[in-house]
Amino acid sequence: MSVKVSIPTILRSITNNQKLVEVVGVNVLEAINQMDQQYPGIKEKLIAEDQPHRFINIYVNDSDIRFCDGLQTNLKDGDALTILPAVAGG
Amino acid sequence: MEMNRPLTGCTLAGPFNNVANDFASIAASLRYQASMLGLNVISTDEYSNDLSLSFKFETSRTSLVSCDIARWSDASKSTCITENIIQAACGIMSVHGRVSGEPRPLGLQYVSTLTGALALQGCFAAALGRLRGMPVSGSNLSVSSAALLSVSQYLADATAAEMPDSVMFEKASRQTAPPFMSSDGVCFELETLDVEPWQKFWAQFGINSALSGKGWSAFLLRYARAISPLPVELVDALSNYTFQHISEVCARTGMSICQLRSVEERQQDEHFMHDWLQGPWSFEFNPNVRARTDIKKAENQLPLSGLTVIESCRRIQGPLAGHLLTLLGADVIRIEPPGGDPLRGMPPMADGCSARFDALNRLKTIREINIKSAAGRAEIKELVQSADVFLHNWAPDKAAQLGLDYSDFVDLNPALIYAYAAGWSTNGSAESATNTLPGTDFMTQAYSGVARKISQASGTRGGSLFTVLDVLGGVIAAQGITAALLKRHLDNASVKVTSSLLSAATLLCIDDFPDKNMLNSRIKSKSIINGVFDTKQGKLAIECPDLNTVSRLRNVLEIANDLNEIDFHQFLQLLLLTKTAEEWLLILERAGVPVAQVIEDLATIRNQAHLQQQLSPDCYTKVMSPWSFK
Repeated sequence: MSVKVSIPTILRSITNNQKLVEVVGVNVLEAINQMDQQYPGIKEKLIAEDQPHRFINIYVNDSDIRFCDGLQTNLKDGDALTILPAVAGG
Repeated sequence: MEMNRPLTGCTLAGPFNNVANDFASIAASLRYQASMLGLNVISTDEYSNDLSLSFKFETSRTSLVSCDIARWSDASKSTCITENIIQAACGIMSVHGRVSGEPRPLGLQYVSTLTGALALQGCFAAALGRLRGMPVSGSNLSVSSAALLSVSQYLADATAAEMPDSVMFEKASRQTAPPFMSSDGVCFELETLDVEPWQKFWAQFGINSALSGKGWSAFLLRYARAISPLPVELVDALSNYTFQHISEVCARTGMSICQLRSVEERQQDEHFMHDWLQGPWSFEFNPNVRARTDIKKAENQLPLSGLTVIESCRRIQGPLAGHLLTLLGADVIRIEPPGGDPLRGMPPMADGCSARFDALNRLKTIREINIKSAAGRAEIKELVQSADVFLHNWAPDKAAQLGLDYSDFVDLNPALIYAYAAGWSTNGSAESATNTLPGTDFMTQAYSGVARKISQASGTRGGSLFTVLDVLGGVIAAQGITAALLKRHLDNASVKVTSSLLSAATLLCIDDFPDKNMLNSRIKSKSIINGVFDTKQGKLAIECPDLNTVSRLRNVLEIANDLNEIDFHQFLQLLLLTKTAEEWLLILERAGVPVAQVIEDLATIRNQAHLQQQLSPDCYTKVMSPWSFK
């Protein structure tokens, strides 16, 4: 499944400054693994021990993957994967 | 009750009882704060001019330092700065009102309190600068600069070059933002900083994952954008259960809950009277510091230049305190976890960094240190050894667990100022009711009575999603540190200073608490006319604090004197619809009526000519230092 991933500014140094990256994967984890092959180092910025970092939100279209099937959330052609830092607390 | 007060022996003198109406609340808060710091406050018989409040500060080792508080930084503008006028003109109503769909006043003496705190800090800094060899005679500040400082992060969001935050008023969110209401009519806040308790909690009420996820996204928006458009199903679900039942579910799932209490309930707390008499800070002195022969000289025109602050803080309160110290010239070294603070990536971005993050941290030096590792802690100790201030806002007891508490530094650096910007109590674990609650802005608003105060005044169900307490908490933390630095230079004492969101909340409620002969000048009467009005184009805030001002308003608008109050208001509303806010502004300002065009879209602040002096256009609009020194 081919999906487009929006890269937050803070991680663009890893993706050669690209804002949008196209990758293939049947689920979010696969997409991240494939992205990490193209842009080594990005995976560790997003997940650890097969869980998204607490301070990172990953959305498939408008849905936070933690409220779907986490990194196993299925992807379909044309889905948009968005990565956003989270803010909680003041 | 014996309290440690750092500036006992110093004097503050000014015409605090003879100020113009719009300065009365500032003068009252300033006097209270000064008293709590140990200053001998003298109200002089002279009369203040209408445009400013001037006072003098003297220590045993410095001659008089003067401080002037002007209404506006732009000296050509003289409009009265009653609380609601300044909240309207500087965007506070805009941010607070986002959740309601229209600008609304906070209903607190908020800018007045901030102004008092910043003014005192300015004069302490000036005295400190003088002790450190700087030829400074005093400090200046304006009320508008204090107000703008409070919205600086929101303004950064609204004006960032990349993806500007165009949040206007989302009508749909009006009924669904926190706080929540139970079936037995209890209004309450929920809080969790982690997603798991959120998921478990809503599952217990039959909310499916998709809705719970949408709710989580909305819940996170509170801190960044002052809105929280929760799915209505979440709010409805809780309204079917009693507060007791919801509390039990919270206990099982790890969610935190706090009922919105009244100020009267707050006063019944076991430690309340101690907190009130102590003031916003708790000070601990170590007088056994050898006489300092190595007083660092100020290096430039800013009074804290050459002093080093080590800051280990997250989010808003602590970073803002550090930011204020940079604005006074201190070198702030900010400790971030390896890889940097994740909030650096929080959109919208400006030059590769989150605009709102940059607004609070742009002048600091960054050191990435893992404080959880022994090597990291050793690195911090090495930094602190030669520093002047160590500032953190960790959870309670974490400093002791890390071996980075005040007692761990006393031998290492006997002249250190150790500062803790806490959430709840400033006296260890004294406030047991809050021990298990996360010390965040909205929980503290609920617990302290501030949320209830705001709801009563602004007609909303709860407090403000504008981070009222984080900002004031940051200001009083920096103020306490500056007072502690002065104490160190005056008395060769090392100082631990603790402030908190709760102590900031208490400071905001001084009009509601027992008067111990300190605040007899405070103004309890409400303004006669005080509201936000629609015009042909734009909104206008008008505040008439007394009959003379009402009379001026009637005269300039040619409204008959025999109209009763209700008819007068209705007539006024209709009349104001005949011209634009900009046109009315000119007319009413000329007549001496306190008036402001209400900022609705925060980004438009940068177009306001009278605020330009405090703003710096860049990759986002930056708010400049509120102080200048003379």
